[in-house]
Amino acid sequence: MNVTYNWLKEFVDFDLSPDQLAELLTMLGLEVEAMEKLGEGLDDVVVALVEEKRQHPNADKLSLCRVNNGKEAFDVVCGAQNFNQGDAVVLAQIGAILPGDFKIKKSKIRGEESSGMLCSEKELGLAVESNGIMVLPSNVYALGTPVFSVLGLKDTHFEIGLTPNRADCLSVIGIAREIAAKLGLKVNYQLPVVAESSDKVGSKIDVVVEDTDLCPRYAARFISGCKIGPSPDWLVKRLNAIGIRSINNVVDITNFVMMELGQPLHAFDCNCLSGNCIVVRRAGEGELFTTLDGQQRVLTSADLVICDAERPVALAGIMGGQNSEIEESTTSILLESACFNPAVVRKTSKRLGLHTESSHRFERGIDIGGVVRALDRAAGLIVELAGGISAEGCLDVYSSMIEPSAIQFRPERANGLIGIDLPREVVIDMLRRLECLVSEVNNGVLSVVPPSYRIDIEREIDLVEEIARLNGFDKIPVTMPIARISSDRPSRHQQLEKRVRNILIDQGMNEIINFSFTDPGAAGKLMLGEDDPRRIAIKLTNPLVDEQSVMRTSLLPGLLETVARNMNFRSLDLKLFEMRRVYMPVANEDMPLEPLFIVGAMTGSSDCDVWNRPSDMIDFYDVKGVVEVLLDLLCVGGVSWLSDETDTYYHPGKSCRIMAGRDQIGSIGEIHPTVQENFLIEKPVVCFEVDFEKLVKLSGSKCSITAPSRFPDSTRDIALLSPDDLQSAAIVACIKGVKAKEIEHVQIFDVYTGKGIPDGFKSIAVSIRYRSYDRTLTDDEISSLHKKVTDSLLNKLGISLR
Amino acid sequence: MREQLEQLKKEALISINEAGEVEQLQDIRIRLLGRKGALTALMKGLGSLSVEERPAVGQLVNSIRDDIEAALESSIDTAREHAKFERLRSERIDVTLPGRRAATGTKHPISQVIEEVCDIFAGLGFAVAEGPEIEHDWYNFEALNFPPEHPARDMQDTFFVENDLLLRTHTSPVQIRTMLKQKPPLRIIAPGTVYRCDSDATHSPMFHQIEGLMVDTGVTFGDLKGILTVFTNLLFGQKTGVRLRPSFFPFTEPSAEVDIACVICGGKGCRVCKNSGWLEILGAGMVDPEVYRHVNYDAENISGFAFGMGIERIAMLKYGITDMRLLFENDVRFLRQF
Repeated sequence: MNVTYNWLKEFVDFDLSPDQLAELLTMLGLEVEAMEKLGEGLDDVVVALVEEKRQHPNADKLSLCRVNNGKEAFDVVCGAQNFNQGDAVVLAQIGAILPGDFKIKKSKIRGEESSGMLCSEKELGLAVESNGIMVLPSNVYALGTPVFSVLGLKDTHFEIGLTPNRADCLSVIGIAREIAAKLGLKVNYQLPVVAESSDKVGSKIDVVVEDTDLCPRYAARFISGCKIGPSPDWLVKRLNAIGIRSINNVVDITNFVMMELGQPLHAFDCNCLSGNCIVVRRAGEGELFTTLDGQQRVLTSADLVICDAERPVALAGIMGGQNSEIEESTTSILLESACFNPAVVRKTSKRLGLHTESSHRFERGIDIGGVVRALDRAAGLIVELAGGISAEGCLDVYSSMIEPSAIQFRPERANGLIGIDLPREVVIDMLRRLECLVSEVNNGVLSVVPPSYRIDIEREIDLVEEIARLNGFDKIPVTMPIARISSDRPSRHQQLEKRVRNILIDQGMNEIINFSFTDPGAAGKLMLGEDDPRRIAIKLTNPLVDEQSVMRTSLLPGLLETVARNMNFRSLDLKLFEMRRVYMPVANEDMPLEPLFIVGAMTGSSDCDVWNRPSDMIDFYDVKGVVEVLLDLLCVGGVSWLSDETDTYYHPGKSCRIMAGRDQIGSIGEIHPTVQENFLIEKPVVCFEVDFEKLVKLSGSKCSITAPSRFPDSTRDIALLSPDDLQSAAIVACIKGVKAKEIEHVQIFDVYTGKGIPDGFKSIAVSIRYRSYDRTLTDDEISSLHKKVTDSLLNKLGISLR
Repeated sequence: MREQLEQLKKEALISINEAGEVEQLQDIRIRLLGRKGALTALMKGLGSLSVEERPAVGQLVNSIRDDIEAALESSIDTAREHAKFERLRSERIDVTLPGRRAATGTKHPISQVIEEVCDIFAGLGFAVAEGPEIEHDWYNFEALNFPPEHPARDMQDTFFVENDLLLRTHTSPVQIRTMLKQKPPLRIIAPGTVYRCDSDATHSPMFHQIEGLMVDTGVTFGDLKGILTVFTNLLFGQKTGVRLRPSFFPFTEPSAEVDIACVICGGKGCRVCKNSGWLEILGAGMVDPEVYRHVNYDAENISGFAFGMGIERIAMLKYGITDMRLLFENDVRFLRQF
């Protein structure tokens, strides 16, 4: 809502500077979002006299003027033609800064020096458009005085951000009422006077409201003999000051009254209304209608239209029709002031994408009690400014009176909720300042009837808010609540979420956050099988862009896109993870599941900035190490790594499923080269995925710790020649399968293929540490144990010693 | 013999003095005191002396051996110290070369702020609550007193999904879900991801909020001011000015926007605070009775407040980030700074 300081001042006589007023409004909940002081810094724009005006020697359309500011004369080049020698004009002197940060400098225009500029109203920010420069009445103003001061144009423009509940403040009077209530002043209500003829309005026009639910009140006046023309200066300026362009006197008046009183009005050219009548009804399905803006609209039966005897002439509360708009030839007018159902206006306006000042107000609700007053105010102004005369009275179709009902209000309840202690009289006074009717009921309960324009006040709590607001939020004492001790501690899920994040970060990974919506093509890019459940994603019905139109079922696409984006910026060494939800539809359930998943990607060099040894490139085992640490720290038991049936997006030879017992909890693998290409990634990337929800179920805690043995250990190494496809896990399992409690630790310390090793085989070096808990093992004991181990390896796995 | 002994001692002490290294001194010890050493040889000659002379010369031999021994010990110590000193001197490294670090990761700024805010409220006895991101209209709007076709819904441009569900536009539905499960007293803090169809430098279609809710007997608007003052002081530093001004949210009444004194200019006015000296960081208010009605609480006997804030906004203020999109581009050059 735009409003100016001077305009407000017409309704309430406050004694505040513009800055103080802005602060007061903001603290009342009418947030001043922007403020512009008109004329500020324009003291170098002064009244000047045109002493001489002649043709510019080098340009047909320019003139060369000698202007005097009372002290000095300057040569100024001017492009406008609408003035003569001897006129008083507005001179922006050298150094003046016009709106839009336009600084006036001495310049040369087509070879002639120009020391200043003669200004138009537009250039001074006084009008949206102007024709030629501003010409002042001669010999009225002292030369050299600042124009804004002498013309009384100093004003301050406020842009107020209104919350949707404050429909009443979509008008100058609404904001003035707030100021008056806060300061304890009276609002200066002017009662409109309309010059009327003796013709009864009913003899001229007729109004039928078919659907009173959607149009609870419709009032109209008939004005004949008007002359459409330009608006007077004051009206144009008022509208310009709040950003509305002047059209003609009648249309300007309807706009002016809407801004002043908050009631949208519409003027129809009566000559275009068939049957001189108005019918308010629902539109027919598919009915066509051309609005004022020249757009043809297809209507539905959910839309409310204003019709004449034959056809629609306006879209109720939104916009008039081209077929009945006010034109220069218009002489008689049907002036409408009505109240339409907010939901209907909102639905139609939304569906048609047609948002107007009028629809904005109707959607929020207007003052049904003020309909006729606004009609009279506008009619009075039309008669005054466009001539003509109004028929006697107005048609007011108001089938069932809607009046605010009384609210039972307990002042102590207000005090208790707010945390203040206002005396009863003060509370009553505040309510009366808000123009509520207050009467005592009994037991200290008040009966409060809010004014009809405050459609947001319906309940006791609404009045509590009014008291808090008028009292001032800043005057409410700061207290700490008294609360009972509670025994909440973070759930296991919450604790582990934090823990997992920290474990991954401690291993050098950077956490990323991607959007939850993704590209519907992501499943294809991952080469997911046709029956993969991750192919079924929840679709947005109104996505912003197609690439963000489905809810992700996997975190991998976002992760891989992040890898590609970083590589484009030449960040090639990456360790990234994301821990977020995925969205899985569930058959026969309306709500999907939103399990938390963890994914990670690593690529590039495994160390950061090492200067004295070559750094290794990240491979599968670096990533597996990260996952092993994670699972170890969360005490997930029974973990195994299966290389079969891994996901399609992995390299089939460099990937595995992570199992806990028989349950798959995740996977690790190098990204398949085709998928890598699909995501435009230049270099190999190894990823992991873990189902966090399963981790939560499987994670244990360390509850039993064994004391270390106090006896010495003995380590024996074995070099084995094993078939290529035999997994090291089998070797370790076989060694541990000997089930000697003296085997303390088994470690693979070298795997080698190449020179000296036959094709199809690999050399594996294993170190086994033996130790007893109760004595020092003898050489013989160790040798016999070790023989058991080697025998088992030879017999069970069919491998040989090197 | 005495002369021989004195001569030996004199020569020994000279050579000990001249020897600079441990090895040379060890050699001297062997040469003089070893089994075949010079002093040992002289001692063997003791037998040839008279019985009267023997004790005195014997004593002399012992004292000379002790003196040589002592001189050797001290010289060896000195030589060792010297050698150590020399070694240390030669082993100087360039300490300005970078250390070999274990890789360090970083927590996303959004996660950091969520953790910090939740920690602050945990200290005030608020438990963390969560809820689904794909929601029913009822939890996201209706139960929060946003009637269908109400302009208040325009404050939140909604993404809709299939099955009449929507992406929650705020974390407030968690209030409803919690109150339906639990009776007062209640103190919860609900962080989460939310969605609105809006995208530019200051709006992201996905962003994060934290919602707080306290319901008990006798909770006042003054208490809300108290909790928010404590919170902003803990998050932005002691004595951060806090201002509440009237606003509107369908699910609270009275409602307030909460401003803090601009953390950039300290309230003097700058570009970030649009010269107002204040930054809007929170929405808050007393829970509307209509909300209590939807969750079957008795509004006559309890009262409470709710508040909510945008995590991105706080992260941007804390870290001086001007473009929200940076938070979701996941550029490691950005992330590694946290």
